[in-house]
Amino acid sequence: MRIETKSRLTFKGGSHPSESKGLTVESQIEPGPAVTEVAIMLSQHIGAVCRPLVKKGDMVQAEQKIGDSDAFVSAPIHSPINGKVKAIALRSHAVLGRSEAVVIEAFPNSPTRLTPFKLDDDFDANNYSAEQICDSVRQSGIVGMGGAGFPTRVKIEPDPRLPKETLIINGCECEPYITCDYRIMLEWTRQIIAGMLLAKRASGCSEVFIGIEDNKPKAIEAMNETLRSFSNIDEIQVVPVKTKFPQGGERQLIRAILKKQVPTGGIPPMIGVVVLNVATAAAITEAVVGDLPLTRRVVTVTGEGVGKPGNYYVPIGTSVSELIEFCGGLKEEAVRVILGGPMMGIAIADLTTPITKTSGAITVLTVKQISEAKFTGRQTPCIHCGRCLEVCPEHLNPTKISHAVKYNLLDVAESYYMNACIECGCCSYVCPANIEITGYIKTGKTLLARQKKKMGK
Amino acid sequence: MDDTQNYNITVSSAPHISRPLWTHKVMIDVVIGLVPAMAAAGYYFHFYALILVSTCVISCVATEWLCNLIRKKPSSLGDFSAVVTGVILALSLPPAFPVWAGVIGSVFAVAIGKMVFGGLGANIFNPAMVGRAFLAASFGMLMTTWTVPATINPSMPVISAENEIDARTQATPLAWSKMAIKRKEPASVANEQLNAMFVGEVGGCLGETSAIALFIGCLYLLIRRTISFHIPLAVLVSTFVFAGVLYIINPEAYIRPLAHLCSGGMLLCVFFIATDPVTAPLTRRGMWLFGIGVGTITMLIRVIGGYPEGVMYSILLMNAVTPLIDRLFKRIPAGGKPGV
Repeated sequence: MRIETKSRLTFKGGSHPSESKGLTVESQIEPGPAVTEVAIMLSQHIGAVCRPLVKKGDMVQAEQKIGDSDAFVSAPIHSPINGKVKAIALRSHAVLGRSEAVVIEAFPNSPTRLTPFKLDDDFDANNYSAEQICDSVRQSGIVGMGGAGFPTRVKIEPDPRLPKETLIINGCECEPYITCDYRIMLEWTRQIIAGMLLAKRASGCSEVFIGIEDNKPKAIEAMNETLRSFSNIDEIQVVPVKTKFPQGGERQLIRAILKKQVPTGGIPPMIGVVVLNVATAAAITEAVVGDLPLTRRVVTVTGEGVGKPGNYYVPIGTSVSELIEFCGGLKEEAVRVILGGPMMGIAIADLTTPITKTSGAITVLTVKQISEAKFTGRQTPCIHCGRCLEVCPEHLNPTKISHAVKYNLLDVAESYYMNACIECGCCSYVCPANIEITGYIKTGKTLLARQKKKMGK
Repeated sequence: MDDTQNYNITVSSAPHISRPLWTHKVMIDVVIGLVPAMAAAGYYFHFYALILVSTCVISCVATEWLCNLIRKKPSSLGDFSAVVTGVILALSLPPAFPVWAGVIGSVFAVAIGKMVFGGLGANIFNPAMVGRAFLAASFGMLMTTWTVPATINPSMPVISAENEIDARTQATPLAWSKMAIKRKEPASVANEQLNAMFVGEVGGCLGETSAIALFIGCLYLLIRRTISFHIPLAVLVSTFVFAGVLYIINPEAYIRPLAHLCSGGMLLCVFFIATDPVTAPLTRRGMWLFGIGVGTITMLIRVIGGYPEGVMYSILLMNAVTPLIDRLFKRIPAGGKPGV
């Protein structure tokens, strides 16, 4: 049966950056480097920072919990390896700057587990109670692996004030270059569906959609095929959505599939929706069925600036430099190392930055991909052409906001709904004047938050 | 840490890639869109048209270069906006306009219309229209001397100015209709010229005579998505409705709505000047209001104002209120206003 995969379901706005996924799209998930040292950041998620449960000199086992917090919105961290705590020291974090991490030195002769969990054939989600699932998810430290890092337990746990009706599994992966979710969908299909069934059971959602961009027909087919091997899948539907950036943003995906708007400044549960990334769904299966905490993930190492691009299963805490060395090292012409993809990823200067639960990719670009004009930062004046307004998926006025921030008029920027920006980067991408619109807006949001904090005190 | 020093790693804000479309390409697109109109001008008014266009372009570019030199700013000639200003200004001048006056207009357009505000992107009014308004105020006689297109059919009905000093000049269809309104005469002569207006065999400014050439250029810009259809459509529809109502009330005294659309600087201004992004509103709703404003003011000037033609002034007036329009029509986020 030929499945119709071209889709018109989408949101308003958005852009079409070159997909560039060819470098790694056919690369199977392979075991990453056998690490000798990992640095587990105490904060890898939205919410309270973990406090370390171990101290310098302690011996730790693989999968042992090494940090936790009593706060509701938080997620514990675990050691991926057997080893000795070398220090609790500062490490670079792409967003938070220098922050605390537990540095663990691997025991010499103690191999690192580099094979993913395999799901048994007799899996049945009904064998697990909702409380059991929520508890496992919490204890395993699962957070949104698509990039935001919101603790998954908080998302899926039933909340009497905001009953959940719809679960959306996000397999869009709209970001150029990255293919980790695509490979997971092809290779770990059963785990994703199992995780989805578990999340559905825990959250009490009555309908489930799996949203996949229509440039991934193989993933759509694999999902549909594997779904048929499960029972009780009537309320589950694989929905191809149009290939467009940022289709994988949860607000955009909800708009495309359900034609509903998440209120500005609100979150999906306010309209009864839970969105989980495919990698998160797979991690739920690992946690609930395999009783394994989230200590490894698939990372796409890609870009024209790296020797051997591919998709690797690596322990969280591996440093970027180790991973890049493993992939053939940086080429001479490499000029930018990005944690994430080229649209929303964050450029890092310190290559000792460790991989966190939310880092799905390392993209290494050369001047050619960035383009000479962008690389040299040559900006011309805004000609008010309105292209940024056209592509803004949140229907904002990016040029007005960025210019207000530029001239330090934060109240004006706020009056143009600066905080509704999802920082997708479409405006900067299309700007013919090469203005770093997204950069200004990000700065403005940070300044505004700081200002409000100051006034609150 | 040693790793980083061996490589030329740089950081910057996301996104790290960009669509390869830069401002100068947008500007060059506009010039390409004006090529049919320039070709029509060359065809109807022969070699002199091209001399006038190149003079205006050269003096606009030179003025911008000089202004940058005086302001001690890096050269901004690379954005090609001065070229666009020069071409549009030239095309909005009468065919026999003296070259020296064209130079004055160009200098004024770029220096006062654009550079005193801070250069491209900062100007309130369309520079070419500022230059043209200055010339209209300074050289009224020169600006209303319309040479007959060289290709015109001698058997055409001669509609001429009252004092027929030069047999080779004639009134524009709009000037004719204005006289008709004033003298309470039928406006049928202008109506008969409709076909001629489509191809351009009428009196008028260099670039505004041939409706077809302008349509082709506009189509190119629309296909290239250099301009959006909102402003042109709003102007044309509002003008058509305004003129249509008058025509229905009294078809004897007023010319046909279609004649209004094709005559004067209407199409040139609507397609290439009102859509100038710098001086037009950003939001869709703002664009509609802007376009309706341009169309309505144009018709008010044409019908009850003192001039036969009013597109230039209506665009300048709407340019002035563009910041207010932008403030009036703020975009509402896709998720609605926060906290409501």
